[in-house]
Amino acid sequence: MKKVTQQWDQMLLEFLDGKLNSAQHERLEEALRQDATLRTRLNELRQMHNILQATSLEVPSKNFTVSVMGKLDQAPVQRGLSIRNGLMLLAGIVTVLSIAVVLLATGVFDQTTTVNLNDVSVAQRYIKQSLPTFSIDGKLLVNTIILLNIIIAFLVLDRAVLKPFFQRRMEGRSQ
Amino acid sequence: MTNDGDLLTIDRILAGEQSLYAGLVDRYKSYVYTIAYKILLNRPEAEEAAQDSFIKAYHNLASFNKQAKFSTWLYRIAFNTAISYKRKRRHNFQSIETAVIAYSGEAEGSLERNDKKRFLNIAMEKLSETDRTALSLFYLQEFSLEEIAEIMSMQANTIKVRIHRARQRVADELRLILQKEALTL
Repeated sequence: MKKVTQQWDQMLLEFLDGKLNSAQHERLEEALRQDATLRTRLNELRQMHNILQATSLEVPSKNFTVSVMGKLDQAPVQRGLSIRNGLMLLAGIVTVLSIAVVLLATGVFDQTTTVNLNDVSVAQRYIKQSLPTFSIDGKLLVNTIILLNIIIAFLVLDRAVLKPFFQRRMEGRSQ
Repeated sequence: MTNDGDLLTIDRILAGEQSLYAGLVDRYKSYVYTIAYKILLNRPEAEEAAQDSFIKAYHNLASFNKQAKFSTWLYRIAFNTAISYKRKRRHNFQSIETAVIAYSGEAEGSLERNDKKRFLNIAMEKLSETDRTALSLFYLQEFSLEEIAEIMSMQANTIKVRIHRARQRVADELRLILQKEALTL
């Protein structure tokens, strides 16, 4: 069976919506007289249209308004990080922290690295002026990263684990 | 009630008359619930999402731009809330929902109407939640394409195309379902 083109489909839907002008209407009527496939498609679309037009609004429970009014003073449900995901994120942060602390303790970051930009071959080729030299204190850098991770870990613990946990407990008691 | 009526009510709620919010909830609960249901296809979860939408709207009432239509703003909150519920969906809702659909079907009335509703539900389930919501709002005939676009934070043209494709898809699915039904008779 041949398929109705997108253009005709569009026209049939506009016909069902009552949006065709008289010229388009006549053109469609003529096409419908001559094309059985188009008539079949119109019937399919009309069927869908009629069923959808007959659908009504869904009705919530009878005590919907009372429930909402009873919960108005509660904070809206936060659907951010779940407790499980929060715990997993926390575990990841703690693992990274532990590795960093162990490496720090073993003295991996004890050395200070001096970076001389003049030694970089690309810089030597394109830049004629002398470039600055700076040193990186590995221990200080890792300590800063550890400190930032500890702050993030506390925030995750508070927002994603403790707060939702105690909120649930309070809700459980109030019901 | 017009949007002006809603705005007066909102002013009084913000001035401390919290109980007036019940009037707004009563007026819009069916639409908010319908939006949530079309996205979640799960009555208990849709009820929770719809209630949560009203609570969010209440807590953000002071930030509502009074140049806009309250209902459109509320429906956008409902749409976004339901979408976030969908993302965080707990799978244990699924089995309950199947029972609810079967029950609501039985309570509906004539067999023919039940069948049509059942076939439509099956066909609509093939659509994405966005297309399903757009199509449902379109057929409620209360919203212009521009309003549907605003509720769903999309361009009106995009919504028009999505509704067009969704109608074609539903018509095709219904044809297939009816063919299968005819074969089993």
